[in-house]
Amino acid sequence: MGLVTKKNLFSILALGAMIGLLLLPIIMALPLHAAGEETPVADAVKKEGDQGEKVEKGRDVYYKTEGIVVGAPAPKTTDGPKDYPRYNFESRVLLWFANQQHLYYGSFVLAVPIFCMVIEFMGVMTKDKALAKRYDQLAYDFIKISLTAYSLTAILGGILIFTFLTLYPAFFGYLSSIFRPVMHIYALLFVAESGTLYIYYYGWDKMKEGFLKWIHLSMSVILNVIGTLLMMLANSWIGFMMSPAGVDEQGRFLGNIWHVIHTALWNPLNVHRILGNMAFGGGVVAAYAAYRFLASKTDEDRAHYDWMGYIAMALGVAFLIPLPFAGYWLMREVYAYRQQMGITLMGGLLAWLFIIQATMIGILFLSTNYYLWQAMGRMRGAEKYQRYIKYLVFLLACGFLVFITPHTMVMSPAELKAMGGQQHPVLGNYGVMSAKNGGINVIITTTVLSFVWYMRGNRVSTVSWAKFGNIFMGVFFACAYINIIWLAIYGYYIPANVRVGLSVPQVATTLSCLFFMFGLNSVMMRGAKQTGPIEWGKISVRSQYALIMLATAFTWMMGLMGYIRSSVRLFWHVNEIMRDNSPWAYTHTVGFAANMISFNVLFFWISILFVFWLGSLAAKKVPVEAKAGVPGRVPEPAGSH
Amino acid sequence: MGQSILYGIISVVICVAFFTLVNHVFMDMQGLDYWYLFRK
Repeated sequence: MGLVTKKNLFSILALGAMIGLLLLPIIMALPLHAAGEETPVADAVKKEGDQGEKVEKGRDVYYKTEGIVVGAPAPKTTDGPKDYPRYNFESRVLLWFANQQHLYYGSFVLAVPIFCMVIEFMGVMTKDKALAKRYDQLAYDFIKISLTAYSLTAILGGILIFTFLTLYPAFFGYLSSIFRPVMHIYALLFVAESGTLYIYYYGWDKMKEGFLKWIHLSMSVILNVIGTLLMMLANSWIGFMMSPAGVDEQGRFLGNIWHVIHTALWNPLNVHRILGNMAFGGGVVAAYAAYRFLASKTDEDRAHYDWMGYIAMALGVAFLIPLPFAGYWLMREVYAYRQQMGITLMGGLLAWLFIIQATMIGILFLSTNYYLWQAMGRMRGAEKYQRYIKYLVFLLACGFLVFITPHTMVMSPAELKAMGGQQHPVLGNYGVMSAKNGGINVIITTTVLSFVWYMRGNRVSTVSWAKFGNIFMGVFFACAYINIIWLAIYGYYIPANVRVGLSVPQVATTLSCLFFMFGLNSVMMRGAKQTGPIEWGKISVRSQYALIMLATAFTWMMGLMGYIRSSVRLFWHVNEIMRDNSPWAYTHTVGFAANMISFNVLFFWISILFVFWLGSLAAKKVPVEAKAGVPGRVPEPAGSH
Repeated sequence: MGQSILYGIISVVICVAFFTLVNHVFMDMQGLDYWYLFRK
């Protein structure tokens, strides 16, 4: 009894230490902040009092507020060894590589603890003891992978900083002069993150029951709060580079650190990146599970990794669904901040990269659907949906083709003349947003339908209104498709300023399918009769390649969108404030960019395979479950799927 | 069979009404007229 109380006390102290570490950077930053900003102001005011000299003021380029000039103007760099020291290689490409690898690993180690938190919570809440143990073990396996990746993230962050310092000293000197307190807080938060992560991981077994388990869960929440703050601080730097605020038109800091952090694009980037991290992390973990599945020697291992792959995929795709909304908000804010930047992105130089993005999104959804159909193959009773899959393939293919169709073709002047204009006589009709929105909404609705079929694959509803419910669901989906396609066609017959609003009811239709049909299905499946258990481990090998495809597509997309985000600055280090005068102040060709992205993806996947291998060296044996195939004996995940 | 047809008709009515409402409300929220072409 006394021992238990001591443990409780120790764990409460540990939790308190984590919260303290989390708050420490803020507490430390406050007096530094005051000293750093008020002193020059106080000095300036004093000067005015003493000598009657005018205090220099500047106007914030974004917030338009007046502030006292505190910092130096943005340096005007010249091409040479002083401002752009270099190796016999394009510095920008070296920085691109270091930055991208750090972002991949950073994204992974931020996403995985969120999964751990969710899965550990599911383990605590599940009433089925065997299933709860499996969830807990799964969460533990996830955090184990994350540990090695965490070290690599830090190493890559160090490489990135050194690359900035050695190859772009002028730019980095300017950025760090403005973000000095933020960078200190960032470093201190790393201390907090490391401390919390190690206590969370190493304390897992000691804190696996009762009150201690709730403390452990609280630690996972704190870990994720710290991780999210880290991401948000880093986002403030790129937000500043794209849409500067808190400085005057010469780039002189006006004393308000909040303005510098809270730029126009900061919050859209925060939301988009956190969702993107989750989708990407889900993809990587699913690929890990796929790799372990393919390498499994026993049925029990295959069953475990099949299940892990499903959960990771489901989480990743769950966060993929709201990701376009966050992306849409980001684009809208870019347009609102600087219309020309928006046009550069989607209507000019970088427009074709968005066609590639559309292709990748289509691949993501096609892979997800394919995986779900394969997964239905290991459920007795799901054969009833088999004959309808070809219609879903048809819908997906049509939606995909419409979604990837460009509006303007890349062509020579001779081709332009032969066509008689900018638009292709046939394809030009399909590349408008009205149609493309219709295409992607059809794809997403089909994915929702595949999920619904998967969730009811091996069950028959026993509610009294089952017949009406089934007919209603079928009619709802059919009407949703008709509405989406109707709105896509309707857009061609109305002016652009009205057409642009049609995307909202289209998306609302898709989301109605998602929320109402998932909800209705859950209600209908209460107390449902099982036609057979899910035979974990019996999924086809092809499905695991679909998971690897999913992860690769996520990784490639992340590289692509990062490239787009960086390129939109064109020849600026800091948009309209600090010009890029290096010899590489031009936009690469799409082909070069694609090769570079592919190289980054390949490098990341080879290195993460090393991380997986390291994780498997000290792997704890997974608790062996009863053989699959015996109805009612195999424990199933919560919600059954 | 008759029951299925009845359920189908009820479902169609509900769904058409629902999606028409969605179209109208979400366009109206943006200050746009969903019924633009029909008014012309």
